[in-house]
Amino acid sequence: MSIALQPTAAEQAFGMSLPHRRMEEWRWTDLRARLDKPYPSIDTAVDEKSVARIMAASPLAGIAKYRAVFVNGKFDATNSTIPALLPSVIPAQAGIHLSIKENRVQSDSRLRGNDDGVDDPLVVLNTSLKPEGVTLHFSSNITVLVEIMHIATNAAPRAVALRNHIEVAAGASATIIETFIGEGDYVLSSVTELELGEGARLDRIKLEWESAKANHLSQVVATLAKDARLNEFTLTSGAALNRQNGTYTFVGQNADAKISGAYLLNGKQHADTCLVVDHKVPHCTSRELFKCVMDDHARGIFQGKVIVRKHAQKTDGKQSSHALLLSETAEFDAKPELEIYADDVVCGHGATSGDINPDHLFYLRSRGIPEAEAKSLLIAAFVGEAFDNVENDDVRAALVNFAEDWLRQK
Amino acid sequence: MADQDTIDLVKTIEVDKYKYGFETDIESDYAPKGLNEDIVRFISAKKGEPAWMLEWRLEAYRAWTHMEEPTWAKVHYPKIDFQDLYYYAAPKSMAAPKSLDEIDPKLLETYAKLGIPLKEQEILAGVRKQGEKSTLDDDGNEVTAGRVAIDAVFDSVSVVTTFKAELAKAGVIFCSISEALREHPILVKQYLGSVVPAGDNYYAALNAGVFSDGSFVYVPPGVRCPMELSTYFRMNAKNTGQFERTLIIADKGSYVSYLEGCTAPTREESQLHAAVVELIALDDAEIKYSTVQNWYPGDAEGKGGVYNFVTKRGDCRGARSKISWTQVETGSAITWKYPSCILRGESSRGEFYSIAISNGRQQVDSGTKMIHLGKNSSSRIVSKGIAAGRSDNTYRGLVSAHRKALNARNFTQCDSLLIGDQCGAHTVPYIEAKTSTAIFEHEATTSKISDDQMFYCMSRGLSQEEAVALFVNGFVRDVLQQLPMEFMAETQKLIGISLEGSVG
Amino acid sequence: MLKIENLHVKLEDENREILKGLSLSVKPGEVHAIMGPNGSGKSTLSYVLAGRDGYEVTEGEAMFNGEDLLAMDPNTRAAKGVFLAFQYPIEIPGVATMQFLKVALNAQRKARGEKELSIPEFMRFVKDRAAKLNISQDMLKRPVNVGFSGGEKKRAEVLQMAVLEPSLCILDETDSGLDIDALKVVADGVNALRSPVRAMIVITHYQRLLDYIVPDFVHVLSAGKIVKSGGKELAHELEKNGYADYAEKVA
Repeated sequence: MSIALQPTAAEQAFGMSLPHRRMEEWRWTDLRARLDKPYPSIDTAVDEKSVARIMAASPLAGIAKYRAVFVNGKFDATNSTIPALLPSVIPAQAGIHLSIKENRVQSDSRLRGNDDGVDDPLVVLNTSLKPEGVTLHFSSNITVLVEIMHIATNAAPRAVALRNHIEVAAGASATIIETFIGEGDYVLSSVTELELGEGARLDRIKLEWESAKANHLSQVVATLAKDARLNEFTLTSGAALNRQNGTYTFVGQNADAKISGAYLLNGKQHADTCLVVDHKVPHCTSRELFKCVMDDHARGIFQGKVIVRKHAQKTDGKQSSHALLLSETAEFDAKPELEIYADDVVCGHGATSGDINPDHLFYLRSRGIPEAEAKSLLIAAFVGEAFDNVENDDVRAALVNFAEDWLRQK
Repeated sequence: MADQDTIDLVKTIEVDKYKYGFETDIESDYAPKGLNEDIVRFISAKKGEPAWMLEWRLEAYRAWTHMEEPTWAKVHYPKIDFQDLYYYAAPKSMAAPKSLDEIDPKLLETYAKLGIPLKEQEILAGVRKQGEKSTLDDDGNEVTAGRVAIDAVFDSVSVVTTFKAELAKAGVIFCSISEALREHPILVKQYLGSVVPAGDNYYAALNAGVFSDGSFVYVPPGVRCPMELSTYFRMNAKNTGQFERTLIIADKGSYVSYLEGCTAPTREESQLHAAVVELIALDDAEIKYSTVQNWYPGDAEGKGGVYNFVTKRGDCRGARSKISWTQVETGSAITWKYPSCILRGESSRGEFYSIAISNGRQQVDSGTKMIHLGKNSSSRIVSKGIAAGRSDNTYRGLVSAHRKALNARNFTQCDSLLIGDQCGAHTVPYIEAKTSTAIFEHEATTSKISDDQMFYCMSRGLSQEEAVALFVNGFVRDVLQQLPMEFMAETQKLIGISLEGSVG
Repeated sequence: MLKIENLHVKLEDENREILKGLSLSVKPGEVHAIMGPNGSGKSTLSYVLAGRDGYEVTEGEAMFNGEDLLAMDPNTRAAKGVFLAFQYPIEIPGVATMQFLKVALNAQRKARGEKELSIPEFMRFVKDRAAKLNISQDMLKRPVNVGFSGGEKKRAEVLQMAVLEPSLCILDETDSGLDIDALKVVADGVNALRSPVRAMIVITHYQRLLDYIVPDFVHVLSAGKIVKSGGKELAHELEKNGYADYAEKVA
């Protein structure tokens, strides 16, 4: 039954209808109901002191050599550490091409991430907010880290958007960090396109540490050519509402995608990750690993779909999502889905939810470790498995520190 | 060895694989074609139902007219014209309920041909003669089948219920639901629609409006039902929907095991089957419900076949109650079926064991829901989906723990096997944990029979099809063992038959 | 050191009494063997002394160096010097054995008001003890007990004991699942820890282990009570005659 819904204030401000719980992929995240006031697209005055403070507070501060900084959706040249945004300054030989594109508005059908001809609502929203962003092109083996950082300052409620395009050419490799950090009440819409050429390798680390009042809505659309390798890790710990979509499509054989993440949520935080891994060609491998820790009234959701198309033989696709609920009122929902049309494949998923294992806790305590410390150790070990996928030692160490701080503040 | 049995069986299979596809030439009494309130009144009048029952039906029918056909399942079929169906068909000779001796010999012959002898003292057995040894017991024990009481439903009416007298001695009521409405109206009124409300979903509402018969079981407190109970559903009449309704109540501390079997003639047109089954288990009661569903699946090109839209739900209403669903789904062009458990009682337990085999153009979307509401409730799901030919086979399930369902436990194992590269196997599990004290574990795998395994078997002299039957029997073993003895032989045979033509 | 008086314990879930008035007194330097048939309450005794949840003490007491052991948290008991070598050591994914030992040792030292060991000090200390038990560096890097063989798990338990240096060691069926070579390694490790200030309670079903860890006293546990006590020769007698005599006595 389709009932014509009266547009909400938020929908009026965005000029579009928002996804709601009657839509299968949004059953656990009713965006229409959650965004309960208008978030207009307005320019806000930037307070340099706040920017400096927030930047310094980033758990990953100082790790990346090159940094493109956006403040409230606008490029911030002063805080960016890329010497300048001109190919002449970072010569083509250096292997990094970067350009800032303003108001990228075209709706790219490639961003749909589905075959039903309907644009993803998060991409439509992003387009309607006229996002700025960077296009990064890596053409050789780049060992320095490049960070794209978005900072939201504490201003009036508003919507800001970012759209980045990252291309790793055939045979090239790179590591990028995307950091989202902020203060105040806002909607952050982010779309990241990842294009991996033949034999390309990309390590991508995303840290979502938005303000406690923020709504973080992001979409990743990745394509992997032959022999490409993608290794992705997302740490989700900020925002009141977090929805992260990802679509990963194998278009060339022997490619490999490792997608992992951790949630560290408390209070009334709500985080929903919805991934589609699409094996369109044979001989590709995908691994998804999510470790979700929820305390207080937090709710974590993991939806993952692995599609193996006809003829995509020898696909190896595994998915696991595990939740640790630290309070009786925390929640976890999961929908690990397989859609398989080829017979010579190895696919599977595992999902678990539960409290800290009392046997583990007793064993640690019987060796003299006090209860609180034993719990921390077990929680750290639980999420640690996902952190292990971060290859860069500095980034991993910084993220582990962040997690330890989070656990200490419990 | 059971596996050798299957192999031998596969060898002897004839080209026409659906051996239940014959038609019984019997004159039937039809309600006028189409569906409206008058048809609902007609059915209710035919059954001589009390006024409240007619009201209940009309309310359901009216709700149905405002509902839309669900589209979320992964099945595709042409729109059903609900006005182009008969909603009531009964053999003319069945004007009034009769004793076994008075039944139309054609009907007895039909059931005999299906391997369902209705004469008391005979047994339900797919392949075995009475007293013959079962070769199925893994421990090498000789097993002879026990007696089974049968309610035989032919199109819209119950033909006969066997062993009624003996069951009555134990206090067990086993009869058609029409009879129950006449003889035990208070029990029916108390429980009917209490698990699957009249307006629960599109097909359940349709069923509530027009259901014509089905089985009713009541097991009194503390009674262990002395024999297996069984209903055998047969769809015969053309263009006729079958809408049966089963209601089973296990009172405190009782136990009952119930089996259900289904077949239909081979027809070019599709037939509609929309059943509702409600189970209620009170304190310490246990219900074991097993189904072997072998409706006509349609031909290799997808012509004909039964649309099987079924709502089955059990309510573990009492503390320590247990409901166990075991299903073997090999038939039907389309299966839409989710036998579920509401685990309301403290320490109640729900189980779902399923084998779903699809071949040809069959589409299966089946699974279960385990809704944990009570403290210390536990559930277990073992689903084995086998897709062959050009079929699609989907497991869809929900496991949820309410905030008050402290210490709820679920274990789910959900495996798919694909045979050939033209089919699809899908898994759509929903997991909702609203308390940290709940421990849920879910595992799913998809696999195929490897070339090495195939080669190994063939080098030992097995044909490809024999090897496939061997593997499949191994693959579904965990679930097969849950079936009552009486159904295991039939099931193993069905597995071989269902997968005919899936390789090579 | 340990004084158990008339201990009655039941399972919380099942409301079934397992220990029915057990008494035992252990002095520093002594090695006591507790033998008994399956289901006599051997493991329950070890779990109750270590403080595992799920058991309810309905009567009696257990004093450790004059303090009420049963009132303490499991970790406090460990810091006071009680160590249980588990019959089935628990696997803890994600926590490296080395890290685990360090956290446990420092937690105990902290609880006792001692200085925490520095990392180099600690590493030297552990490596030295690990070598004696044939425990490789690789094993120390692996998560606690995960993927360990039966023998490796038992050796890891003895290593923990050697590192944590408890004053009362309770060994619960340490011989189960070990072949003779593994048993010797484990027994050597245990014997090396025998000292005049340390007591041991060795719980076992078979006499075999006691050939290697020779006890000062042997007690027979049957149906939740100690029904006979004696010297090490009692173990041999049991080996010959089985537990049948004692089962009857209680019945």
